[in-house]
Amino acid sequence: MATSKSDMKGFFKQKKKSGGITKAKAKSSSTKKSLSPKRSATYGSDITQPAALISHGSPDIEDDYDEKEEVLRQFDMNMAYGPCLGMSRLARWERAKSLGMNPPEDIGHLLKAGKVGAECLWEGRV
Amino acid sequence: METEDSSSENGLLHRKQALYSSLDSCFVIQKEMYRGQQYSQIYFARLHLMRTLLYSLLPNWKPHIQVCTVIGLEEGKECIIVGTLYKHMKLKPSILEEYSKERSATPLVRPHNFMHPDDHLILEDESGRIKVCGDVLLPSVYVTGVVVALHGKETGTGDFWVEDVMEGGLPHQIERPIKSGEDKYVIFVSGLDIGSSTSNPLKFQLLVDHITGHLGDKKEQSIAAKIVRVIIAGNSVEIPRGLLNGQNLGSKDQFTLFEPIKELDIQLTQIAAGIPVDIMPGPNDPANFSLPQQPLHRCLFPSSSAYNTFRSCPNPHLFQLDDVSLLGTSGQNIDDLEKYSDANDKLEFLERTLRWRHVAPTAPNTLGCYPFTDRDPFFVETCPHVYFVGNQEKYETRLIKGAEGQIVRLICIPRFSETGVAVVLNLRNLDCHALSFGTEFS
Repeated sequence: MATSKSDMKGFFKQKKKSGGITKAKAKSSSTKKSLSPKRSATYGSDITQPAALISHGSPDIEDDYDEKEEVLRQFDMNMAYGPCLGMSRLARWERAKSLGMNPPEDIGHLLKAGKVGAECLWEGRV
Repeated sequence: METEDSSSENGLLHRKQALYSSLDSCFVIQKEMYRGQQYSQIYFARLHLMRTLLYSLLPNWKPHIQVCTVIGLEEGKECIIVGTLYKHMKLKPSILEEYSKERSATPLVRPHNFMHPDDHLILEDESGRIKVCGDVLLPSVYVTGVVVALHGKETGTGDFWVEDVMEGGLPHQIERPIKSGEDKYVIFVSGLDIGSSTSNPLKFQLLVDHITGHLGDKKEQSIAAKIVRVIIAGNSVEIPRGLLNGQNLGSKDQFTLFEPIKELDIQLTQIAAGIPVDIMPGPNDPANFSLPQQPLHRCLFPSSSAYNTFRSCPNPHLFQLDDVSLLGTSGQNIDDLEKYSDANDKLEFLERTLRWRHVAPTAPNTLGCYPFTDRDPFFVETCPHVYFVGNQEKYETRLIKGAEGQIVRLICIPRFSETGVAVVLNLRNLDCHALSFGTEFS
């Protein structure tokens, strides 16, 4: 599928002006000695990444998860409610409630509202 | 004192009836969906249930000793820890042995009981595990999966020296109203093994005839009229598994495969026509392998399932007759305990499971079990009045008493195909006796 250069521009996310890819490569090689920016290793080069870390086409090292996800991850890690693998977060919360452990209500509301991740971080990967 | 039920003015005897309610909802799989979960969830549910219970009992046991978790143990400090026991057994068969390099070292003949003097117990909770030592907690008595509270201290070598142990104990029992009512009998039978070479169809026919009142004179029939229910506790058929070798079955083989079930259906129709009957699946029956075994499907019993007196039940089975609650299994839980622990008789295993408040503690370790996530259905909430196990070698029974005045009748039901013995229980006073059928002239 031959595309003209103008199409390629629209295809890739452009942070700088045209020729952004080559410039990014140069940038990463020059900054190898210093701390590389978080996304430079994966930006645009998913050939080198193993497939499991790429989920839904976006880099998996999500550093922009919001504080809702952070709260839910703390809920996952809390040993008092049992292992987090093998159950959806809502099922684990419901179990904690029915066993009388009084899990925080706002986590329950968060999970029932449905806009957050339904499973814990390792679901499907372990 | 004869009531109007069993009077025979016009020569007709009426069968007694008992109010039946099934409490099997925890054993029947309804909304559970297998999502690839592992057994950690059921162990967590069990630990939480038992730990809540044990914490509530601690103030009556040792109120002044501190309770801590395994990770919070300090050396030399006396404390109480609560957790699940794991028994490390040297001879326990492991799937990894198939992959071990020293294959010649594994014995070809497997022992029936896997105990070894080197077995030791480890206590585990969410925070960690610790090896348990001392003379109080005998590895020959306990099995993996039992939740206990231990009082002791950590030694210099990192083990936990046990001074005292507390189990859940017998649960609370709902008291029966003391009334001198009428005698009502329940018949327990198991191990019919229809279709096997050891089963004698005449013996079972004799049992059916006795229950339905076709045997004996008026006196005999009036006794049979007092039977209110028949419980068949597993292993009712023996399917010729030699035919199942992976290839498609011809129609003649299909017929042979189904013969035992058809014969069982015919016999059950005779019973169901006159008396309520409960049938439970057993290890050899066409039901699922893992506990809780689901009720046998009604399409296996086309003619007997037409009667509303016929009831297919899960294994384990919990039900209530008048005000007596009965709980029992088809034998897998006790047989598994026999492989991994030691006792004087089977009734002692039965009593232990009740005192541990768990019907099948070795599930899912060595006994197949469904990976429940939110509950452990084998946890015993209230103490039954009758606790039975099927498919045992011989008929044994005992009455045990609990600390709060609970009274439980323990019954081991023998295999009918081998012994010809069925068990009769009187609901009024929980007395038990054997009913044996023979076809040889001695």
